[in-house]
Amino acid sequence: MNVPGGDAADVGSRAQASLRLDGVGMSFGAKEVLAGIDLEVSPGQFVALVGPSGAGKSTLLRLLNGSHRPTVGTVSVLGTDPTKCSRRELQRLRTRIGFVFQQFGLVGRLSAMENVLMGALGSLRLPRYGVSSYPQDLRRRAAGNLERVGLIDARFQRCDTLSGGQQQRVAIARTLMQDAEIVLADEPVASLDPSSSLSVLETLRRLSAEDGFTVVCSLHQVDLALAISDRIVAVRDGSLVLDTATSQTNESQIRSIYQRNGPAT
Amino acid sequence: MSVTTPSRPVAVTREREPRPPRAAAATWLIPLGYLAVSVFGVWWIAIDLTALQDGAGDIARLLERMLPPEFGSLSELVTLVLETLWIALAGTGVATVVSLPLAAAASRNFTGPRSVQWLVRGIIVVTRAVPSLVFAIVFVRIFGLGPFAGALAIAFHSVGMIAKMMADVFEELTPAPREAIGAVGASRFQNFTATTLPRSLPAISSLVLYRLDINIRASAVLGLVGAGGIGVALQTAIGSLNYQQAAGIIVVIGLLLLALELVSFLVQRAVAEHAQDGVTSELYRRTADPIRPGWNRARLLRTGGALIAAGALLYALTQVSFDPSRLGRSWQAAVDLVTGFFPPVIDSAVLTGIFESVVMALTATTVGVVIGLVIAILSTGHVVRFAPLSFALRVLVVLMRSVPDVIYALVFVAALGLGPFAGFLALSISCTALAAKFFTDALQGVDPGPLRALEATGASRLQVFVSGVWPRFVPSLIGNSLFTSDLALRESAVLGIVGAGGIGFVLQESVASLDYGTTAGVLICLVVVVVALEAVARWARTRVI
Repeated sequence: MNVPGGDAADVGSRAQASLRLDGVGMSFGAKEVLAGIDLEVSPGQFVALVGPSGAGKSTLLRLLNGSHRPTVGTVSVLGTDPTKCSRRELQRLRTRIGFVFQQFGLVGRLSAMENVLMGALGSLRLPRYGVSSYPQDLRRRAAGNLERVGLIDARFQRCDTLSGGQQQRVAIARTLMQDAEIVLADEPVASLDPSSSLSVLETLRRLSAEDGFTVVCSLHQVDLALAISDRIVAVRDGSLVLDTATSQTNESQIRSIYQRNGPAT
Repeated sequence: MSVTTPSRPVAVTREREPRPPRAAAATWLIPLGYLAVSVFGVWWIAIDLTALQDGAGDIARLLERMLPPEFGSLSELVTLVLETLWIALAGTGVATVVSLPLAAAASRNFTGPRSVQWLVRGIIVVTRAVPSLVFAIVFVRIFGLGPFAGALAIAFHSVGMIAKMMADVFEELTPAPREAIGAVGASRFQNFTATTLPRSLPAISSLVLYRLDINIRASAVLGLVGAGGIGVALQTAIGSLNYQQAAGIIVVIGLLLLALELVSFLVQRAVAEHAQDGVTSELYRRTADPIRPGWNRARLLRTGGALIAAGALLYALTQVSFDPSRLGRSWQAAVDLVTGFFPPVIDSAVLTGIFESVVMALTATTVGVVIGLVIAILSTGHVVRFAPLSFALRVLVVLMRSVPDVIYALVFVAALGLGPFAGFLALSISCTALAAKFFTDALQGVDPGPLRALEATGASRLQVFVSGVWPRFVPSLIGNSLFTSDLALRESAVLGIVGAGGIGFVLQESVASLDYGTTAGVLICLVVVVVALEAVARWARTRVI
């Protein structure tokens, strides 16, 4: 991980679990979305979160970046409980958590470079408008990150003229600007064709290995989950039904989770 | 015809036979309402054929006295035209800057305190409902005669208009980028500048240009109440019965607004071209430098446009600046005004005035919608295809629009005397021009595919129009008619300033006689009526459109 000046506290926090959920449950009104979730993820792990639509994967990821609050149980992310944070503290915590969205979340009318630079906003005090309003060192880092995702030549191109796969790489480069210790990815390849999907996930995997950040990535494609992750966690009807090392499972076991009466572990 | 249709199981479909769709209540309730008010209006305003005939004679005699127009001192006219432009530019610019945070707080996406949101929404509703000429009367009392009061009046009214439209723009944006930048730990302000502002900039530029166009029209008449601009010269000329000079000034105002129409069209087109999604043109010139984008035409236009706009605004502000030596007096006048507002007085004069304004506006809308509809049908070629007629009608509409309705009212008052009849005629002309423009645009926008299909079946043009065009045009007819009466209501509220009936006269008298309680009463009634009409329009839109 290219943390400039990573100090002892930083190393210390890395020794702990990156994130931890204890007995977490969550309801929207009368509808229970998650129940009794216990999960611990170690630093540097690449976890694939699988399960049918509506199983609670997105809610789980949003609990981890403090967008949702659990109804019961405790959440700890990088040693902090996001539910106990003030707005400012949550902002600070979020600068350490990258989030990759299915719909990329890019401003299409702006250049790839400016979209990537937005990833550094949490570390800046004032609002910014236009590439030139960001400090030179950040611009250099943004160019470097675009190079790492293979898009340096498109740095000044409008994002809405890039392909879906390229746009998701820009979004990944944006999280790199955060020097994130955890990257949460919510169906990052659901809108992409199969070859772009693989290439985007391989990029994420490579960057995670190089920089050492933890990844929790929700996915629909079982083959992709098996191909890129260290660990597979499956959720169905709001409960955790499988948690295993990727090498210990196979396609048919995971596919059975998508069937209504599939086995729960 | 011997076309065979696929057979269907009669027993099953009989029970489920869909009923023919019923027309929404709004499609007949609204025209009926307008008709009823108009019949009453004809009696209230005392419009009859004799009055119209006599009126035509009087107007013809006045026009004779206006010819040939005299232009007097050209340099004085140029100075006043420029002052008009600076008032509009300064007012619009200030309103735009103020509107940004207000619109952000008023939009549904705002995550701050509810109380702030409701306060801001209240400010927007009130400033939108009060016409700039009404603000001008109040500000002239506080800040004295001159362009500062005018620019401030334009700014106040525009804040309501621009902030409302901006908030709509913000609400239409997809939430994904905002959510993504919130997730990197950016503050709300940073998030707004990074994701909301750049995405709404094309729409904001377009709506600000549109508002500037309207504000230059409004600034041309602010002088009637002493708030600067070319209207001052018009007021002086009419006041001294120098009708030839007045005609010269009206011609200059008309030419100014015609030129503006052209400039506005060209600028809007340039902005629209640049604003489309997925435009493949490069944002910057490609360079070898990894972090410094290069300059190309698009970047020069963006940066140059922004610098020119900022420069023009700053210069305009210096031209309408406030005289600091008046500060003490202005402060005292403002305190007197605000304390005088309490308690507001809503007496029979206020109620009659506002009632007359509403009747004038709705009756004139009915006239305008009927004549405007005929003009639009004849000029769009759906029923009659005769190019010279179409061209002549379009030129007529542009010419009608190039004179502000207060000026029409001034002329009609000079010819026919004081009262709502003059105001009704002035409003009818402006409503006709507005409705004709809206309807022409809507009729041109009807998808031609189904019409060609109907033509191919051998249907006549009239049949194609009735069956193919009309059903799709009705929602726009209702929506635009309501919008026309919305604008007419605001205008009718100010026509009384030149003696053409309605609440404007009561308002001006109350300010002149320092009876600020009545001023407050008039403003309250005006806001209530405008907001009520807007609520009806919203209801109709959800039902019909």
